[in-house]
Amino acid sequence: MSVLTVDHIAVGYSNTVIIEELSAAIPEKKITTIIGPNGCGKSTLLKAVARILKTQKGAIFLDGRAIQQVSTKEIAKKLAILPQSAEAPPGLTIFELVSYGRFPHQRGFGTLKKEDLKHIHWAIEVTGLGELRDRPVEALSGGQRQRVWIAMALAQDTEILILDEPTTYLDLAHQLDILLLLKKLNEEEGKTIVMVLHDLNHASRFSHYMIAMKDGEIITEGEPKKVMKSENLKAVFDINAILMTCPFSQNPICLSYQLNKETECLLQTVE
Amino acid sequence: MTEENYISAYQQKKHRKNIFLILSVFILIIIMFMISMSTGFIRLTPMELIRTLFGMGTDKQNIILFDFRLPRIVISILVGMALAVSGSILQGVSRNALADPGILGINSGAGVAVMLFISFFPTTTAAPVFFLPILAFIGAGTTAILIYVLAYKRGEGISPTRLLLTGVAVAAGISAVMIVLTLRLSPENYQFVAVWMAGSIWGSNWSFVLALLPWILILLPIAYSKARVLNTLNLGEIPATGLGLAIEKERLILLAVAVGLAGASVSVSGGIGFIGLIAPHLARQLVGAKHQYLLPTAALVGSLLLITADTIGRWILEPSEVPAGIVVAVIGAPYFLYLLAKSKA
Ligand SMILES: Nc1ncnc2c1ncn2[C@@H]1O[C@H](COP(=O)(O)OP(=O)(O)O)[C@@H](O)[C@H]1O
Ligand SMILES: [Mg+2]
Repeated sequence: MSVLTVDHIAVGYSNTVIIEELSAAIPEKKITTIIGPNGCGKSTLLKAVARILKTQKGAIFLDGRAIQQVSTKEIAKKLAILPQSAEAPPGLTIFELVSYGRFPHQRGFGTLKKEDLKHIHWAIEVTGLGELRDRPVEALSGGQRQRVWIAMALAQDTEILILDEPTTYLDLAHQLDILLLLKKLNEEEGKTIVMVLHDLNHASRFSHYMIAMKDGEIITEGEPKKVMKSENLKAVFDINAILMTCPFSQNPICLSYQLNKETECLLQTVE
Repeated sequence: MTEENYISAYQQKKHRKNIFLILSVFILIIIMFMISMSTGFIRLTPMELIRTLFGMGTDKQNIILFDFRLPRIVISILVGMALAVSGSILQGVSRNALADPGILGINSGAGVAVMLFISFFPTTTAAPVFFLPILAFIGAGTTAILIYVLAYKRGEGISPTRLLLTGVAVAAGISAVMIVLTLRLSPENYQFVAVWMAGSIWGSNWSFVLALLPWILILLPIAYSKARVLNTLNLGEIPATGLGLAIEKERLILLAVAVGLAGASVSVSGGIGFIGLIAPHLARQLVGAKHQYLLPTAALVGSLLLITADTIGRWILEPSEVPAGIVVAVIGAPYFLYLLAKSKA
């Protein structure tokens, strides 16, 4: 079952088409990760799914309805997006920024109701920001800021969370922190998560479903065991990867890799 | 105490603090109001002032106060508010703390309309005083629409950055036109236009107040009702769309409100720069970036700044007057540079 389907879309920016034709079905209540080289259109795809970019052809269906036909506020109650680079305006506290996540549920002037406070509180606690809630956002470290934006998306109280590179710029431990949080949200709250990750091993370890893209097209998709194969990685990233099984997740991980052309050089010298 | 209670207690504390700050600015305005009323060529002692305000003054005192000073002070209060709120909206929508109503080409648009009129109908020197606001408003509105059309890009709508850049370019073009027009003006007319452009509130009378008041009464509540929308827009395009805001529509409404406020004020006071830039910035330092607090605070700070500037302008070179716009610029330009330096750092 899927609540989110991408049906033969073309999407791009003013004059350039980045994705010419792409279809995909995002499995419900699962973690889906998109991988692919820089500039292959991962963010473009996510932006189209989150109706930030209009599709030039085809349609995206949310709960069976084309998103162009649903009011943007209606969508915001079901789907939250964490952009790749977001910067809070100066002078906001963490509490205030997270409280903005309640926007689609509010009316009129925006006084926070009990229901709103409940979600804000939960979002702040689950992201471990309780102690910091009254601090200005600009006084936080990169990792903490990332968590504030995640908290804002959580306060939005949606079934679907879309995250573009949520772990980039974080150190190893904080990367795991975020991924474990997402895993917990998926397991305990049943949230559907779609994200872009650059770390293949994290992608393999934490996702139920992977989509590998190159040049605006899907090269292969499926569960990690199917996608994380050396021939796929060669096709997508142009690398020769040595794969083994992750002792934690039993999924394939990449032990080490070489650029394809490097390997060819090596083979030539051996000959 | 549960966490949720903690959050609401914290909110209430912050709310009380912000209300206190807003009231403080309000009290400063009242003090400045009193000082301004007694400042001028003919000084009034506080006692005389109070007696005149309560209808027990001499005829001369009545005329000075009610016909000259009071309308002028009321105009500064209204114009200060309008410019500050207009600036807050522009800064919120464009996510640029250096945005200012002047950048929308509103001041120069109003200026060129006034100049065109005076240079082609120089004989009607008596008429313009009442005709000016209407002309200026038409000029300001036309320029704003022109800039909007030029900055609009099909399929992408209007990007705030492009809007500001187009505004700067159009304003520069209009300045060039104005220089050419200057050549046509007689010295008296030139002086008139120059003082008007510099932003002066002298010559204000109650009909100016009446011309401005409806705009303020309609547009300020609209702006305030959009506080939540402004908060969201201020996060940037992608987060705002993600939160379910109809960006294009809301942006257009807010820009129209900002243009209306700035156009209405420039039409009665000429081009007063910097208030729309500084007032929102000071207000943000006081109460933070939430527009529910920011808008009213900025409005009051704007009023306070403009009354103060006008009072200083009246007093500093007595008996001549320095236009309030110039006083604001003298204070505002260094502040602008300071902001610029800080934003680069
Ligand atoms: N705002 C934009 N305007 C024009 N082209 C863009 C824009 N954003 C991205 N692109 C181009 O679209 C292509 C795909 O970008 P993107 O989807 O961001 O890649 P990634 O897979 O790294 O997220 C790139 O070639 C990029 O240069
Ligand atoms: Mg990207």
